[in-house]
Amino acid sequence: MISRRALEIAAAALTGIFGVVVIVSSIDNGIGWSSAGVDAGTFPFLTGIIIVLGSLYNMGQGALGRGSLAIVRVAVTASELHRLAGLFVPAAIFVAVIPIVGMYLASAGYVFAVLALPKRQSVVRALVIAVVTPLVLYVVFERMFQVSLPHGALGAALGF
Amino acid sequence: MENLQSLLHGFTIAITVPHLTLMVIGVLLGILVGVLPGLGAPNGVSLLLPLTFGMQPVSAIILLSSMYWGALFGGSVTSILFNIPGEPSSVATTFDGYPMARDGRPTTALATAFGSAAFGALVGVILITFLASWVAQVALAFGPPEYFAVYFLAFASFVGMGGAAPIKTVVALAIGFAIAAIGIDTVSGSVRLTMGIDELVKGVSFVVAVMGLFGIGELLIAVEEEFQARAVSSRVDWKEVFRALGRLPRHGIALLRSAAIGCWMGITPGGPTAASFMSYGIAKRFSRNGARFGTGEAEGIVAPETADHAAGTSALLPMLSLGIPGSATAAVMMGGLMIWGLNPGPMLFVDQKDFVWGLIASMYVGNIVAVVLVLLTVPVFAALMRIPFAVIAPLIVIICVVGAYSVSNSYLDVVLMLGFGVVGYLFKKLHYPLAPLVLAIVIGDKAEDAFRQAMLMSKGSLGIFFANRLVTTLVLAAMALLLLPLALHVVRLLRKPDEAAHEKVRII
Repeated sequence: MISRRALEIAAAALTGIFGVVVIVSSIDNGIGWSSAGVDAGTFPFLTGIIIVLGSLYNMGQGALGRGSLAIVRVAVTASELHRLAGLFVPAAIFVAVIPIVGMYLASAGYVFAVLALPKRQSVVRALVIAVVTPLVLYVVFERMFQVSLPHGALGAALGF
Repeated sequence: MENLQSLLHGFTIAITVPHLTLMVIGVLLGILVGVLPGLGAPNGVSLLLPLTFGMQPVSAIILLSSMYWGALFGGSVTSILFNIPGEPSSVATTFDGYPMARDGRPTTALATAFGSAAFGALVGVILITFLASWVAQVALAFGPPEYFAVYFLAFASFVGMGGAAPIKTVVALAIGFAIAAIGIDTVSGSVRLTMGIDELVKGVSFVVAVMGLFGIGELLIAVEEEFQARAVSSRVDWKEVFRALGRLPRHGIALLRSAAIGCWMGITPGGPTAASFMSYGIAKRFSRNGARFGTGEAEGIVAPETADHAAGTSALLPMLSLGIPGSATAAVMMGGLMIWGLNPGPMLFVDQKDFVWGLIASMYVGNIVAVVLVLLTVPVFAALMRIPFAVIAPLIVIICVVGAYSVSNSYLDVVLMLGFGVVGYLFKKLHYPLAPLVLAIVIGDKAEDAFRQAMLMSKGSLGIFFANRLVTTLVLAAMALLLLPLALHVVRLLRKPDEAAHEKVRII
């Protein structure tokens, strides 16, 4: 279970860290005024400052439990978290294996795993969808739109 | 009257068999990408772009713009029937469209949406017909300070009128600016904010951000709420279509106000997504039925839909006359224009009369084609609803992954897209607005360029933003909008100290 307060603080921390990274990295580009005009880092530097200040404010509001969402105490319950993971983890694994087995095999495996393993669909149906999906992708992208999808290390090894 | 003559000439170009065929193809493809969440008008149009290289520019722009109209309409179909916005700009349509459809009035919801959408589009096209050439003439005198002031105004209006917590809006905007700055700086040529990742030199495409923020983010929200597409009937009852259209004039004020907001946001350029949210928020604040918004109010559909289409259409006005795209999709089309060898901007109205007026005439015809086709095909696209969400969800993930990859054949984009998905979920959950984030990514570097060019002109003095009446007015209006939430807060504190803590209207 994640409380709204914790989530607000975490989100503000996340945006704040991003802001700090932007500031640090834009200082490398130079900030201020030079003979060539406004230096390349100036604009990102200012946005970084705004992000950090805004994040601090949001974090304060979140920690104090202020703002319009203050009434909502629980942001994510345990079962919701479970369902979220159920969608996101397989998706992340799918993305992770694309460079290895290529888009087509990865998508087929992903669809089959998500549909057949939790017994959401019959195995036969899952298998059909898992085969049709990459075929459609191939026809639409590789043939119609001439966009070559990644074939992966496996595809390269097999000579595709 | 010169404009009307040019328009008539445009109709002779637009109403030909090949161009009508292109409109039908474009609209159908548009509805398809509009219906599919995560696959939207900007990426749909960019996927189609390579196919237009061999075409006449007029034919090409008619195909692409028809696809845009189709996508705008298609996005509303899923918003209303599925509660999944097919397009970012139709997110606001879900608020009242879906509750109405769930109540057993899907036809009413769809007809109300399409009717007001058509009205919004019509107002947008009429505006273009009469204003575009005039704006182009004025714009011949525009310099970088004026351009920057227009951008500043567009961003300030998010903070002032967006409805979300102002500081969260500011943070979202600033993050968008920072993301826009990633990659090669167009002015100095130096590499910025890549954090040591070489592949980031090409920058982060807004398409990748949109797919993650709206595609995956939306999906995570849906699965968390144990999303079930309820079997809302997708049969279109034609009598009810005409009854619903007949009831539209009752919302006359909402229609006109939303069309005005839409046109304003399309031109400034805030884009259709911002326009629909803003229009919904304002309608909620000012409507007599404001309290019932979110439960299936017709006005809650009219407001975002009218503004969405008015903005989508009028977004082409600044693209044609100023060379500033008014929306993400218009930006992609502008890229197309340059590839076809045309130079978007004021000179288009002098050199390419056939192209400009052919396009404007095609917008009248294309929107009629789109309304008819979308009504006819609702049952076909709604058939997608019978597919269980468990099957659709991984397919949407795959479409987002493939879409993100195909932007520039980059695996990093796919990983980024997934990251944006998490951010989108978190932001949506905590009511950070997503629309300003995306828009800042799209036009952030243009705003920056305008600012830096203005600074070069003035040798570093901010006085250039108050140098003449036009630019001063724009900047002052933007600052007023920026300070509006603060002013409202102070007023509220002075009036009712107790209620101040509870008061705050949210839309995103």
